[in-house]
Amino acid sequence: MKTIPVEAYFVVSMILFGLGILGLVVRRNLITVLMSLEVALNAVNVAFVGADAHMGLVEGQIFALFIIALAAVEAAVGLGIIIAIFRYRYVESTDEITDMRG
Amino acid sequence: MVRFLIFLLFSAWAIVSAVGVVTFANPIYVILWLLSCLIAIAGIFFVAGAELVGALQLLIYAVAIAVFYVFVLTAVPWEKAVKKDSHYRTEGILSLPVVLLLYLEMIIVFLLGVVASPEGKFREAMAKIGNAEVVGSVLFTKYFFAFEVVSLVLLIGMIGAVLIGRKESQTYEDDTG
Amino acid sequence: MEGLLVLISPLTAFLVLGLFGRRIGDLGSGIITAVAGFLSFIFSLAVIPRALEEPFQIKVYEFITVGEYTLEVGFYFDALSTITSAVVTLVASLIFIYSIGYMRHHFGRWTYKFYTYLNLFLFSMLLIVLSDNLLGIFFGWEGVGLASYLLIGYYHEQKKATDSALEAFVMNRIGDWLFVFGIITVFLIYRSLDIVEIFERVDTAESSLIGLATLLLFGGAVGKSGQVPLHTWLPNAMAGPTPVSALLHAATMVAAGVYMVARLYPLFEAAPQTLKVIVVIGSLTALFAALAATSHTDIKKIIAFSTMSQLGYMYIGLGVGDREGAMFHLSTHAFYKALLFLSAGSVITAFHHKEYDIYSFGGLRRYMPITYASFVVGALALAGIFPLSGFWSKDRLIGSYFEWSFAVGVLGVVVTFVTAYYIFREGFVVFHREKEYKEEVKEVGGVMTVPMVVLGVMSILVGLLEGWYMGVMGGRSGGIHVELAVITVVVGLVGIGVAYLVYVRGVIDPKVGYEALRGIHTTFREQFFTERFYHKILAWGYLSYSKILYTVGERQLIDGVVNGVAYITQSVGQGIRFLQGGKLNWYAVALSAGFGLLVVLMLALTVEGI
Repeated sequence: MKTIPVEAYFVVSMILFGLGILGLVVRRNLITVLMSLEVALNAVNVAFVGADAHMGLVEGQIFALFIIALAAVEAAVGLGIIIAIFRYRYVESTDEITDMRG
Repeated sequence: MVRFLIFLLFSAWAIVSAVGVVTFANPIYVILWLLSCLIAIAGIFFVAGAELVGALQLLIYAVAIAVFYVFVLTAVPWEKAVKKDSHYRTEGILSLPVVLLLYLEMIIVFLLGVVASPEGKFREAMAKIGNAEVVGSVLFTKYFFAFEVVSLVLLIGMIGAVLIGRKESQTYEDDTG
Repeated sequence: MEGLLVLISPLTAFLVLGLFGRRIGDLGSGIITAVAGFLSFIFSLAVIPRALEEPFQIKVYEFITVGEYTLEVGFYFDALSTITSAVVTLVASLIFIYSIGYMRHHFGRWTYKFYTYLNLFLFSMLLIVLSDNLLGIFFGWEGVGLASYLLIGYYHEQKKATDSALEAFVMNRIGDWLFVFGIITVFLIYRSLDIVEIFERVDTAESSLIGLATLLLFGGAVGKSGQVPLHTWLPNAMAGPTPVSALLHAATMVAAGVYMVARLYPLFEAAPQTLKVIVVIGSLTALFAALAATSHTDIKKIIAFSTMSQLGYMYIGLGVGDREGAMFHLSTHAFYKALLFLSAGSVITAFHHKEYDIYSFGGLRRYMPITYASFVVGALALAGIFPLSGFWSKDRLIGSYFEWSFAVGVLGVVVTFVTAYYIFREGFVVFHREKEYKEEVKEVGGVMTVPMVVLGVMSILVGLLEGWYMGVMGGRSGGIHVELAVITVVVGLVGIGVAYLVYVRGVIDPKVGYEALRGIHTTFREQFFTERFYHKILAWGYLSYSKILYTVGERQLIDGVVNGVAYITQSVGQGIRFLQGGKLNWYAVALSAGFGLLVVLMLALTVEGI
């Protein structure tokens, strides 16, 4: 069990999280934005599970389960919103949705 | 040692897939890369000894959510996204320092966390009765309330998604007009 | 309690008219005003016996607590304050009645405002008279200034009236400024504003400090009473309606200065230098205003200058130490000056408020006998002819002057001569000269003549109260100085005679006389060029200074800063508006950056903790 150093999990988690954030920022299409968000969420899961494996706990895994559940909800609601926006506006890229302009 | 090599393999796979998620223009490819990434992460979970989480990752994420994305993609014209420029370059460059800052912070948090890490108390139990049972028993005893709340959140999310995504009736549009 | 009612009655009338005047109507407002003034007079009379027996204070409530000192709103009733308030309210209520007739042509044009202001005027004056502390006096002082501003500028459609009102206000501000500093100095010296308390401890302070305080207080009185050098507003204040002039000159405004000095006399007595200054200012004003009056032709301005001159008399009286004589002269002067103004107002009313130049009238003694008689009584009283009221008070004052200094006494006699000359010059021109106008002239109505008759009777008789007045005021009752009385009466008669010879007999043609003495005439007429000096030099200098400030300070500096701030704000807004462009990606960046900064903050705090 101890053969994998905990630092490795964290490095992987960090790289994935950074890529997720990067994708969240740079993607133009709304659906791909959401997908980048999934990557970031999974990165957190990796960190939780890695820490658990290192310390011999299960709370991290339980948290990971919760995160999976919430990711499902987030995907459902987010995609529902995308469909609703598309139905009313016929747009699905972020630069065309400027109703939040201050 | 073999385990670590397998871990490295899955990690590299996951990172390459994530890069694909961020870079590819066509949403179909992006979904495929995401699927690949999720499977790789499930592999990491298995390597880490978290069989239950890995299995659920495969079942819920890699199957249910990914399929959901595919469904939605059929509902909106993804061809348009292919024709247009799929990335913001300025924002991408600008966000790099932010991402680096987050990395830095994560490193610091990690170092602090190592200093303060508590001693494991489930190690022996996991060795004896297996990871899935321990996780399940803790989840349904200690975190039962949280579990119920999450189920409620799922229900609310489902209702909300249905409400948001359904087609509006004609009379409703008249009201807004 | 009746003491407070003196104040409450005009205050109530003021509030009622101010709030409901439009409903009540103009005539109703006039009647309410007159009744309120008269009630106030009755209450004043009622409170006199008690005050003469034993002076008493009424504390109404605690106003402000400053450190160890608690300022209370309170009133002090003694012989001086109660008798003055009786005189003020009597004269004021007669003028109020008169004003119903005088303002009749103005009814229907919100004249209730006029009566509201009149009530405010009377209330403020009573506040000055009855307050037992300097701050209360100051409140009344400012109230009088405000009411006079409103009333002088009452014909606000005329530029002359608004200008005069503004001038009165500004001149009074200068005086009030000094007055405030005087009050502050008094407080610094005695740590109290209560006059009764101050009088008990007058001697505890250094005389130089008292001198400073009294000089400043007297500066306020100079502004309020129109003494040199803050005098120019007083003749110009004639732009207001005539009842206002009468009120201003007889009862309320200008008397406030004299009364204030008399009220605080124990303080002034402790500062002999200030008294000398008062004598100098008073003498200057008495002579100067009397000379100016000889050359003016405005029916009201002559009387206004006469008031200045008489106030000068009172100040000399105060300066030479005859407080009772000065206050007695103030009382008699209130009656006959009100009478003169009301007579002039009658003439103006008879000419439909159009003519003010005395040469446009003439021969009125045949058409307006009551007005004529009133004017003559007032003029004789002013000239100090035996046995009218002016004789008694003036005789006593000039006697006091001679006791103090021969020169001041001579000045008093000279001014008596000039006074008799100018007031009868006006009287002869208005009432005796052959008429040159066409229209019919009628005597004014009863509502105007009755107050004049009452005032006339008072002007004749009030002098006989001298003995009683001096008794209750605690002054020495010297009786009349026979040789002095003969001299002043003779001098007065000579003055009248000169006016008679010139303006009725035509021994010298006045126009030829004016031509021959053009230089002197102009000098007198222009009030020794003081007004011109103020306008051309001081006002002009101030205006140019303001213009420089405007072009450099205002336009360049302040506008630059203000516009610069606007410009910077605008550019910053232009620069960062993309942040609120509604672009989700920017929001995502901002979200991440904000989260990162929060974690930095948290880490900083945590690391600090470790």
